[in-house]
Amino acid sequence: MFDPSATLQLIVSGLAMGSIYALVALGFILIYNAVGVVNFAQGDFVMFPSYIAVSFVLPSVIVFGTVVHWQLPLIATYLLVLILMAAFGLLFNRIAYYPLRDRGWLPVVISTIGVSIFLRNLAQLIWGSQPIVFPSLFGDASLSAGNLHFRPQDLLILGVAGILIVFQYGLFEWTSLGKQMRATAQDRATAQLLGIRVDRIVAITFIYSVLLGAIAGLLVSPIFTVTKEMGGLISLKAFAASIVGGFGSIPGAIIGGLLIGVVENLGGFYISTAYKDAIAFVILIAVLLIRPSGLFGERVSEKA
Amino acid sequence: MSVTRRTILAGAAAGTATLAFPNVVLGKGEPIRVGTIPPITGPQALNGEEEVEGAQYAAEEINSRPGKCFDDRPIELVIEDATSDNQAAVGALNKLLGENVVAVVQPVLSTQIQAMAPVMQKAGLPWMTGGTAVKNTQLGLRNLFRCRASDAITAHGLVDFAVKEKGLKKIGILHASEAFGVGGADQVETALKTYNLKAVAREGFPANTKDFTPELLKIKSAGAEAIIAYVQNPSDSAVILDQYKSLNLTSIAFIGSPAVGNPTALNTAKTAADGIYVAQDFIIGFNSNVATKFITNFYRKYHKQPDVGTGQGWTRDAFLLLADTYKRIGTTDPAKTVEALHQTKHWEGVLGDFTCDTEGNLVHNMSIGLVKSSKVSLVKTVKVTV
Repeated sequence: MFDPSATLQLIVSGLAMGSIYALVALGFILIYNAVGVVNFAQGDFVMFPSYIAVSFVLPSVIVFGTVVHWQLPLIATYLLVLILMAAFGLLFNRIAYYPLRDRGWLPVVISTIGVSIFLRNLAQLIWGSQPIVFPSLFGDASLSAGNLHFRPQDLLILGVAGILIVFQYGLFEWTSLGKQMRATAQDRATAQLLGIRVDRIVAITFIYSVLLGAIAGLLVSPIFTVTKEMGGLISLKAFAASIVGGFGSIPGAIIGGLLIGVVENLGGFYISTAYKDAIAFVILIAVLLIRPSGLFGERVSEKA
Repeated sequence: MSVTRRTILAGAAAGTATLAFPNVVLGKGEPIRVGTIPPITGPQALNGEEEVEGAQYAAEEINSRPGKCFDDRPIELVIEDATSDNQAAVGALNKLLGENVVAVVQPVLSTQIQAMAPVMQKAGLPWMTGGTAVKNTQLGLRNLFRCRASDAITAHGLVDFAVKEKGLKKIGILHASEAFGVGGADQVETALKTYNLKAVAREGFPANTKDFTPELLKIKSAGAEAIIAYVQNPSDSAVILDQYKSLNLTSIAFIGSPAVGNPTALNTAKTAADGIYVAQDFIIGFNSNVATKFITNFYRKYHKQPDVGTGQGWTRDAFLLLADTYKRIGTTDPAKTVEALHQTKHWEGVLGDFTCDTEGNLVHNMSIGLVKSSKVSLVKTVKVTV
């Protein structure tokens, strides 16, 4: 039976989750477009910065079995985490991709899987197994508008995701760097012939992709709790979102993420919560059957 | 039997060896190797961490007492990582069984217990487990013992509390979609039938769910007056409670399974857990001297509060009961130990009275607590007589 107030609530919460899927899906797409491989560590780029952030921001956190009391202001912590993750993105590029760049796609994919396993185990080694709560900028209070209840953090997620999407559009359409990134994604050899320093552009793409994961992590940690598994399901759904949208398509990743976030919530409520996760993959299969290139993807003939 | 020269020489040799090396020949002082198989890595690593601490605490407690287990024989832990995966758990168990252990303690995950059961049935070693799914002790393994209250006891306790004590008859069930959660939800439905009631909603959620809005709203839409939640993972509990509060559902009573009241879950949920009720194997400040001593000594050793129910407490009890049983029968022979464990009556552990029933269930009581500021205070104790 249709329940308008529940439906509205489900759409709001689905859009917040969908925005996170979209940010992580964008990370997938950027690396895929730049080097032609799927980065299976993308979910762990959500988890790892969240752990770094709690270490800096909480009054006391156990790091390597020792209690630390850094307790930096929240905004300073955000900036510090982004700087550290940018450095990590460069390191990821130099260690996991660069030495293997001429050996085909498979070694690079295996390398990203290795990074994923390494980061999860490193997180357990450093921070242990306890889930950790990350404070929200807005405290624990929730807001109400009629029958609609939401956390301020949900609004922050929607707002930041929206800003990032606009920023990304501007970056790719109006800046020289963005155009070089697009050129490298479209045809690396030609881009190189045109004088673009392809390796540098690929490294920047890796850094940007890691930062997108880090921002997603910082946004969801106050509502998810920080655990080493927090990125797992998000990255799986984000991957599905990027395929639904058309793998390689930036607008497709955004629309795919939002679509999966909302439809899995509505499907969970109106069909069955037990199969809520399956719904994302049913959408994926349905889209692939009807339109194999995804909602916004180029047809193979067009791409060729 | 004829006495030959060979028999006399063999007897003399044995006698001389006994006098010369009494500890070796009689096993005096020789360590008793007990295997334990917690999930040290993977999503259930928190359970594993707590269970390793419980095992180490127990070994220390046993080895520091006069006579240790018996004949001055200390407990020696042999630890293998069950991970959080059934197949890997069975592999780790096979490795453990090849390491000359006389008993196995763990796991707490019912799904792993059910996966390991065929191997353990063949091995025949005493098997002290913490999984609460009713089915575990109905798998036909005489060597399997459950050291915590089963879901049948917990679910009946929760339903009795909701229906009889609180007068709430419209019950919605929220549960994890794995062996523990599904088993618990089934037991809640069975318990409701004793009151001629049926759950108004039953919502399962897959592992690692992060948005519980559909589940909670569905239960609300069904008109539930209370939510009985069977959740295994502390971070899931924290996220559920946060969303329960932010969706303004606090007019619906929330009554959780033991893991919801786990100290980690409550410390993570913080104020979102205020006002909920939880089933507990144990509530600090309301149990026996054994429990008080355990809590005090554990805090001294680890500088934190133990999770008595799902973590360190039951693990400590499992080892101590094994050690006391070895002491009682004077041997570590697996078959004799299994039979002796079946004779357990009114042994006092941290979780209370341990008395073995025909299925190998040792604990038959649980408590209901009210949460405030991440602390649980006793509301009611439920006992089932065997």
